[in-house]
Amino acid sequence: MSWLGKLITRVVLWLALVIVMFPILWVLLTSFKPAELAQALPPIWDFMPTLQNYRDVLSGNTYTSQVFGVLLNHTIIVTLSSTLLGLAAAVPAAYALARVKFAGRQATANWILSTIMFPPAVSVIPVFVIASRLGLTDTWPVLVVPYAAFGLPMMIWMLRSAIKQIPFEIEEAAMVDGASRGQIIWHIVLPLLTPSIVSASLLAGMLAWNEFLFALTLSRSAIKTAPVGISEFTSMYGTQWGTLTAAATVTVAPILLIALLLRRRVIEGLTFGAVK
Amino acid sequence: MTTAASPLEAEERLTSRSSSKEQARFGWSMLSPAMTILLIMSVAPAIYLFYVSFRHENLLGPGSGFVGLQNYIRVFSSPENWSGAVATFQFVAISVVLELGLGLGLALLLNRKFPETNLLAALFILPLGVAPVVSALVFRVLLDPAYGWVDYYLQLWGIISDPIDWLGQPFTAWVAVIALDVWQWTPFVALILLAGLSGVPAEPKEAAMIDGAGPIRLFWHITLPFLRPFIAIAFVLRTIEAFKTFGSIFVLTNGGPGSSTEVINLDIYRIALQNFDVGAASALGIVFLLILSLITKQLLAILGRSTDIMEE
Repeated sequence: MSWLGKLITRVVLWLALVIVMFPILWVLLTSFKPAELAQALPPIWDFMPTLQNYRDVLSGNTYTSQVFGVLLNHTIIVTLSSTLLGLAAAVPAAYALARVKFAGRQATANWILSTIMFPPAVSVIPVFVIASRLGLTDTWPVLVVPYAAFGLPMMIWMLRSAIKQIPFEIEEAAMVDGASRGQIIWHIVLPLLTPSIVSASLLAGMLAWNEFLFALTLSRSAIKTAPVGISEFTSMYGTQWGTLTAAATVTVAPILLIALLLRRRVIEGLTFGAVK
Repeated sequence: MTTAASPLEAEERLTSRSSSKEQARFGWSMLSPAMTILLIMSVAPAIYLFYVSFRHENLLGPGSGFVGLQNYIRVFSSPENWSGAVATFQFVAISVVLELGLGLGLALLLNRKFPETNLLAALFILPLGVAPVVSALVFRVLLDPAYGWVDYYLQLWGIISDPIDWLGQPFTAWVAVIALDVWQWTPFVALILLAGLSGVPAEPKEAAMIDGAGPIRLFWHITLPFLRPFIAIAFVLRTIEAFKTFGSIFVLTNGGPGSSTEVINLDIYRIALQNFDVGAASALGIVFLLILSLITKQLLAILGRSTDIMEE
């Protein structure tokens, strides 16, 4: 490539990086601005960074109905429980689809994959109506079970392809030595699956952490999650930029740090294990 | 080759030790927790929607009952639903095409090895971790005509003379909705395609170059065939996810101005949970589900043809 081509390539790449990073850096920058400077135009670049917005958000000194830290706790609980539920269901299912021979196996796998097309905006209606009739609105299961379902097809497909790549001779040898199938899965398959389990859990966890529609519809206060809380920072009284960006930073930062640290695992998860 | 049996043969041998009936029972019992969760969240809602779509359902009081095809007639005769359908396809088509085009370009640039490319590729993962609600709110604040940075800098640089009320006019609201989706998901496409590019072997490329092939022919005949499965994965995943988009549009425009950016998902949500017309929302949901399952079938067929992940 000519030096000009190289120069243009690099300029375009850095420009793309600026576009990608700008909204994220804007949030971070604004969250450290004193409240009275946050909305100033022209934008103020030299200011004394302050943690006041974070203190306000975490102590509840905002216009929202609930302390944001509580919502963050709800998000953590819902994310962990739905991911664990998903894993507990996905590992045996993936093993059956990869290793056990029975009629309808491939059709079942394809059906599981096809459930990803079900739009949450459609499934939320029956879940909302039935949860209201059973008095389950604002309880943990109405978020945990749907979130587990959202992640399941991807988890199962990823783990199935990972199990297929484990040489079957290892399992066979253990079976000859008298190990039961449960022992084989627990002691042999599971340890070899660890990287894929991490990928699958990361993606399922990200889906649950960021989910908005079900949380908006099915939670009132007892299980309200951070994404719903953030959407309440803009109201008819205007947007509190400082507290909004501080709340956004607190919510998004853990995911972004994990994504940066475990980049390959995240990409593997996002493509159902098709990209290693 | 003689030392190790293929997994399939080994599986056969193992299978023959227990009866096929036992195998089936074991398989289905292992599948049952996952199947239960998925049935609760897909088949059961679909059955319920189908049932309710023939009823008038009053959530707040009496007056519920069977109404025949009335809900479907209302769904098809409402201009809002037709414009919602157009908006949905418009959103999916434009954003997926832009994401694939820009993503491919970005991946090709990232594939040139510069000292900084690894760092850049690492940072490009960030947008896909940002909650769509957060990115939508940030776009909304940045596009604010009075306080937003976008209008301020466009005016400062002399690109526009008066502030644009981005979310106040249909065309610019669409620009914002698409821009948000493209910002969030183009890096995802680029990273998938970059993974594909790193697997393109060098030898055929060098051979073709010696034969005098130009960069465009090289790309078309050598790079593209290797990229095909990765393009298929990115295309299928993005299309399915785009059809499901709700939160980002809900927060950014809430379907407005008027109903110009109201995609079907927002339409259904409004009919069901703001107008409380569950019957009509269910009928619309059933129609949408049928169309989506036809589309998904085609998409999965594409995935099956271009990749080996669908194989037994």
